Amino acid sequence: MSSATDRLSTVTGRLDQSLQPLADGFNRLVGDYVGELNGLQFALVFGSLAAVLTAPFWGTFGLVRAMTVAAIWAIFAMSWDIQSGYTGYISFGHSVLSGAAAYTTAMLVHNVDPELSMAITIPVSILAALVVGLLIALPSLRLSGPYFSLITFVAVLIFYRLIPSFSAYTGGETGIQSVEVFTYDPIARYYYMIVPMLVIAVVLTVIARSNIGLILVSIRENEAAVNAAGIDATKFKIFSFALSSIPMGIGGVLLVHFTGGVDPTTFIVVDRSIEMIAMAVLGGMSSILGPLGGAFFLIVLRDYILTDLAGLSSPARWTIFWGLVLAVLVFVREGLFRKLWHTLERYGGGQP
Amino acid sequence: MSLLEIDGVTKRFGGLVAVNDVSFEIDRGEIVGLIGPNGSGKSTVFNCIMSIYDVTDGSITFDGTDITDHRTHEVVNSGLSRVSQESNPIESMPVAGNIQLFTLPNSVTSLRGGASDEEIYEYAARVDIEDKLREMPDELPHADVRRLEIAKALATEPDLLLLDEPFAGMNQAEITELAATFERFREEGITIVIVDHNMGGLMNLVDRAIVINNGDKLMEGTPTQVTEDPRVQKAYLGTAEET
Repeated sequence: MSSATDRLSTVTGRLDQSLQPLADGFNRLVGDYVGELNGLQFALVFGSLAAVLTAPFWGTFGLVRAMTVAAIWAIFAMSWDIQSGYTGYISFGHSVLSGAAAYTTAMLVHNVDPELSMAITIPVSILAALVVGLLIALPSLRLSGPYFSLITFVAVLIFYRLIPSFSAYTGGETGIQSVEVFTYDPIARYYYMIVPMLVIAVVLTVIARSNIGLILVSIRENEAAVNAAGIDATKFKIFSFALSSIPMGIGGVLLVHFTGGVDPTTFIVVDRSIEMIAMAVLGGMSSILGPLGGAFFLIVLRDYILTDLAGLSSPARWTIFWGLVLAVLVFVREGLFRKLWHTLERYGGGQP
Repeated sequence: MSLLEIDGVTKRFGGLVAVNDVSFEIDRGEIVGLIGPNGSGKSTVFNCIMSIYDVTDGSITFDGTDITDHRTHEVVNSGLSRVSQESNPIESMPVAGNIQLFTLPNSVTSLRGGASDEEIYEYAARVDIEDKLREMPDELPHADVRRLEIAKALATEPDLLLLDEPFAGMNQAEITELAATFERFREEGITIVIVDHNMGGLMNLVDRAIVINNGDKLMEGTPTQVTEDPRVQKAYLGTAEET
């Protein structure tokens, strides 16, 4: 077994060495901001990037559609990660944030003016997500222990019950289905989702690899030490929630212009929050790119492989989805993509 | 003007009075011992100073500023740092990362900043762990974990260092070496307060000692005055009999 591993790492080591000059160039250019790569990791990151950017030219309609949805969920999973994954204050209520943005857009169109420009609805909706985020974060993040998680959970339940109570404005259970979609062209639509996702991935990665990421991880590991270091842990916890709310708002806006409407089941119910967590956990919490990978993996599996290729029914698809998440939780606690990342590190040729 | 003034500090937990109307002052450049039997309230005084606990009554002034109601990070940024009795390094970060955290600015917009590698090396070198910067905390021997705690406190650039039982669990050679390190800190301009329940080892190091028993301040004086005081002897003997 170990000799097979050795032989494999001789081959991969050589491959790593041949890619190293490219990786070195990358490291010199931006390594300080996003972390350094070896040759194999460079190949993974830029290979995936190339695949994602060219998907409409080689993928089927069903695959591209699944990847379009995955891009939005990747934004949710990464946004959840910068807050919950990094600080360890687990939010069970992130669908409230994307829901707030989506409902703001839909309610502005439905109640105020159907002709309202996206130049107005989009920023207002993202701001709404931020405001809701701060409303949750300010009172709850001063508490420690399980209270934060419980409050985020209750926030979803309240939001969900408020929708039918104000059905004249919210459309109740059926929601509002009069929101304009970005475009009906599936290829253009794909890039409408992918480009914001990539920008958010880069921004969050840079922040996560900075001092701020180090402080957020330290809050998770030992909050008392952070305060003893002269750093206001509460301020950073609230900041991480705000930092999470903004891309959640962006994702909510993308989703409402993808589906052309809002309803409580698609946007708010607590299942949606748990799915964001599942994607982040499956990919690898507190790594930003892990949750991105987790979202693509789970959604392409659920909406394309199990649907279009395997032709399974919805309950079967969801059972496999959650079964897989459970398996990762039990057997690969660090997450699939973090595991892959560390494997590439090990099979690389090492620093010359 | 003294650097630190504790004025009538009282801390009650429900019906238990942990610290009762304790007052003392620390002057710049001193090394002062805060001593007393186990459970006498010494660490509670430190916790009140660092705002881990809110005081029930009284005030704490540092360098002319009332810091009684400051929050922990504000107390640290005003120039006070405490080395706890329990070591609590972040296990997932190497020694260097643990020190680096204590140099980061308290600003959500500062992506870079904090100490350079050379500065982190210097902090580590002041407590002789500069060759262990890449090691993980759980690989270190006990004495080095304690030294890491001190290096972290140094990294906040304190004027006053509060040391809670710094010699606990160390052998005699390590104690002697650490005491010499504290003398060097004093020469570098750091004022030091050391909590210890064990009077013996401390008395060669400190200029003055303040004795606390059952939450009350019993007395303060030079090491000789303190060790010869019958009340102090009784407090220590009394505890010895009870345990």
